[in-house]
Amino acid sequence: MARYGMALDYKNCINCKACEVACKEENGVELGAEKHRIWVGGNNPEGAWPLLDMASASFLPSQCQQCDDAPCQEVCPTHATYYDENGVVRVDADKCILCSYCMNACPYDARYVDERTMTVDKCTFCSDTRLARGETTTACQNTCPTKVRTFGDLDDPESEISELLRTRDHFSLKAHLGTKPKLFYLT
Amino acid sequence: MCYNTHMNIIETSRRKFLQGSVSLCIYATSALSSPWQTTKTSNKKTTDTPYLCNMCRNKCAGYARVENGLITKLNPNHNFPKSRNMLCPKGNAGIQAIYDEDRLKYPLIRIGNRGDGQYKRATWDEAYEYIKEKLVKIIDEQKDNRSTIAYCNGEGFNKDEYIKFFGSKLGSANFLDEGSICLNTKLGATQLTIGDVGEMDVAGSDYMIISGANRYESLITPDSVDMIHSKQKLVVLDPRCTVTAIKADEYLPLYPGTDLAFCLSMMYIAFKEELYDKKYVNEQFDDFEKLKAHILSQKYTPEWAESKTHIPSQKIEKITREFFAASNPLYYLGRRSVWSQNDFQLRRAMVLINALAGSVNRKGGIIFGQPIKLNDEEINEPLYNNAEGRFDLDGIVYGSQKGGSWLNFREKVVSKTAPYPVKAMFIRKHNLMQNMPNIAKTKKMLEMMDLVVVLDTMPSDTAMMADVILPECTYLEREDMVVSFNRLEPSLALRNQVIESLYESRSMQDILKGLGKKLSVPLFHVSAKYDEDLQDSIKEDGLHKAFVEGGYDMAELYGYNTTQRNKRLITKQFGKEVYNSLKEKGVWYPYMDEQKELFNDFYEYYPPEKRFYTIDKKYRVNAYLKKLEKAGFDAMPTWHKYYDFNLHEDEFRVITGRYVTTTQSATANNVMLKDFEKENYLWINNNNAKRLGIKTGDSVVVMSSVSSIVIKANPTNKIAPNVLWIPHGFGIDSQEMTNAYAKGASDNMIIEDKFEKIYGCATMHETNVTLRKL
Ligand code: SF4
Ligand code: SF4
Ligand code: SF4
Repeated sequence: MARYGMALDYKNCINCKACEVACKEENGVELGAEKHRIWVGGNNPEGAWPLLDMASASFLPSQCQQCDDAPCQEVCPTHATYYDENGVVRVDADKCILCSYCMNACPYDARYVDERTMTVDKCTFCSDTRLARGETTTACQNTCPTKVRTFGDLDDPESEISELLRTRDHFSLKAHLGTKPKLFYLT
Repeated sequence: MCYNTHMNIIETSRRKFLQGSVSLCIYATSALSSPWQTTKTSNKKTTDTPYLCNMCRNKCAGYARVENGLITKLNPNHNFPKSRNMLCPKGNAGIQAIYDEDRLKYPLIRIGNRGDGQYKRATWDEAYEYIKEKLVKIIDEQKDNRSTIAYCNGEGFNKDEYIKFFGSKLGSANFLDEGSICLNTKLGATQLTIGDVGEMDVAGSDYMIISGANRYESLITPDSVDMIHSKQKLVVLDPRCTVTAIKADEYLPLYPGTDLAFCLSMMYIAFKEELYDKKYVNEQFDDFEKLKAHILSQKYTPEWAESKTHIPSQKIEKITREFFAASNPLYYLGRRSVWSQNDFQLRRAMVLINALAGSVNRKGGIIFGQPIKLNDEEINEPLYNNAEGRFDLDGIVYGSQKGGSWLNFREKVVSKTAPYPVKAMFIRKHNLMQNMPNIAKTKKMLEMMDLVVVLDTMPSDTAMMADVILPECTYLEREDMVVSFNRLEPSLALRNQVIESLYESRSMQDILKGLGKKLSVPLFHVSAKYDEDLQDSIKEDGLHKAFVEGGYDMAELYGYNTTQRNKRLITKQFGKEVYNSLKEKGVWYPYMDEQKELFNDFYEYYPPEKRFYTIDKKYRVNAYLKKLEKAGFDAMPTWHKYYDFNLHEDEFRVITGRYVTTTQSATANNVMLKDFEKENYLWINNNNAKRLGIKTGDSVVVMSSVSSIVIKANPTNKIAPNVLWIPHGFGIDSQEMTNAYAKGASDNMIIEDKFEKIYGCATMHETNVTLRKL
């Protein structure tokens, strides 16, 4: 039993998309640009060449925020969306009826429809693939050239992520909504 | 590198992001319809095979997971110093290259016209037989001039072995590789200026300037990774605001082809203000005073450089002072495509700036290091008296004796000014129909051949020009010979075989073995007809002995398979433990047991005190190259008026580059990577676009003196006015590449085939075009 979370040193992200591909290959996510559990958003620099405001440019890797208080779980009529023993928000394919309530409820736009399993799917922190085999990293964390992501147990004070969150400032996305994400963006 | 400001306004919605992005919003409407899908990995443990990636030139190390005979996942291998425990998007999408439905599956023999894609399936023996008959005829007609067979290779692995087969054994002098359409000016400039091509120690540098090299989108390991983790100050010059520019501490937008003016001015300031490392200069430089007098007398002032580059003079002064004040400054030399006529002297200026700062053979500079030398597998080379020399370096001052000059070669063949006809070509993993400027001319060259043989994994545009197509297996289906990597933290790495080869594809070694067996005797008889020395030895020793001792057995190297050869070679030179490490971990280097995790799966490899930052080596810095002067060229970096960026209002300069998800045209058909960039978009300055009434997604016609293309526009503030950026690797013409065919446009359709005369390298950024909305 653990409480898994992820810290993202997002300023190191170079928008290379390795994490997106690794996630798709590991978790058998369907092909197609609209089918993804993980993505990189961001802003282009403002201004006119050559006077570009470089500070306005950024990349922001994102995915399901693994909310501790998840709107998607709250609205699911069949309890297909549930918390597993490690606090990871998961979806039970057998129970999902594709009502798409969760898609609308999620403030982070983190869900998509998997047309092969007919499930409104999402990031699982590789729970049924890598973690199930006893591995300690997610596919996206492992492959990242600049090691943006630190994955680990928030309840373990010795873990790398706990140490990071103790020593570095961080913020959550849309913190005002009270969803209590377990993804932390390091500043 | 450090990051300047904290971002407040951040776009978090994926849907919104999709709408705002040129390329992604296009696919949102059209789902891909590939039969191949991803396979979820299981919850079972597996023993994974260490391999080396081949999706680009980096050769990162990975572990392949195989379940029920199917590769389900590729993961980074943390043991390899060079790749720093990462795989990029292309590396991860390697699975889709293996299981690409469009792969070349069987040997094919052409039945239609060149280029129309009509082939019949053949057995390997039929294919070899076909090649034999044609070759015997050609070489006979050419009276045993073996150089009538040109051969080329665009893949790093197995290249030397390929050269052994066609160069040493078959006897042709005409080998061509990607160097003259990539980085030979940089290699040559470094070699000629400091006596060695060296390696750049990015991790050790505290201040780095990059001209144009887009290290965060064209990833080079370990450089790209080290840039993010080191605390250096990063300055980027580029006409285009790339990801590398966005990540830099300072981005200096400039006009294309004017980087040399910036470098000249850096030298001017360094001389004027005596910023250079005097001790180093005294000890190492030849002709320092000549260089100094030249730069000062030419008055390459910051104001002058501003007028050429568009970079404010105070900026140039500030950067120069910071650079020379840093402890370990590095002017990054870049790699790929030569940009313009001044490229050799541009790269030389960069080397000289490093040398003036003392950043040679020391931490954070250009290091010489100590690569691990692998023993050569010796073979018996026949002598062919009638084989003529190469001609592609005629008129080139230096040039690479190994890989030659593609554009000069093609020009001489097409214009029939070569000293003898080239009648056949063997092309391995080298997409000639996409990789060099002026595709029409390449087509013409191939049409002139009596025999074109292509060894490849995909039905590329070049494969469609072949008479015989030999399907090579992909990198995960074969073992390759051990390779030595790097100089600062040298290591050996081995590409192990992950799965059996699919369909009827074969490794290059097996293909050459089969060809060798088929060709050796018949071609020997052709030589016996024309070669008097051979006739003598036949008379003296008899046919059999003359054949064996003369080295005419072309399959000599292939008495053992690659696994056996590796075992023999590695065990003999390094011992059993090294061999076992290469088999089990894919990698070996001396301090492997001490490898340390620094944080979050990021490692330290060599202990710092064991790295080869500085070695005992005698070398001089050659500021003045007399041979160039004699040949009528600049002996020192010099600006000429025609380097100026000076265009009419309605004229545009084309520059090229690539997306992070593409490796030239090699990834064009990859169904996973296509999700990111289905076609390429032309970057055009937003104000230019506005004036021309061009909006995002509009099709535009781009016309050069060579040809024209139609491509969709991406108006952006991230590119200089009157400059167009065309991402390379699109506009595939082969209908057999079903995911790539006719998607986007090819830059090389319209880039003019000019080349510089120092190394014979194609100058890719010198084409001016006009454009209009379709
Ligand atoms: S792999 Fe890392 S650097 Fe690349 S896009 Fe993902 S988070 Fe960013
Ligand atoms: S981010 Fe969205 S999908 Fe993920 S737990 Fe929160 S509400 Fe659910
Ligand atoms: S950079 Fe990417 S494509 Fe190139 S070798 Fe490494 S993982 Fe493979």
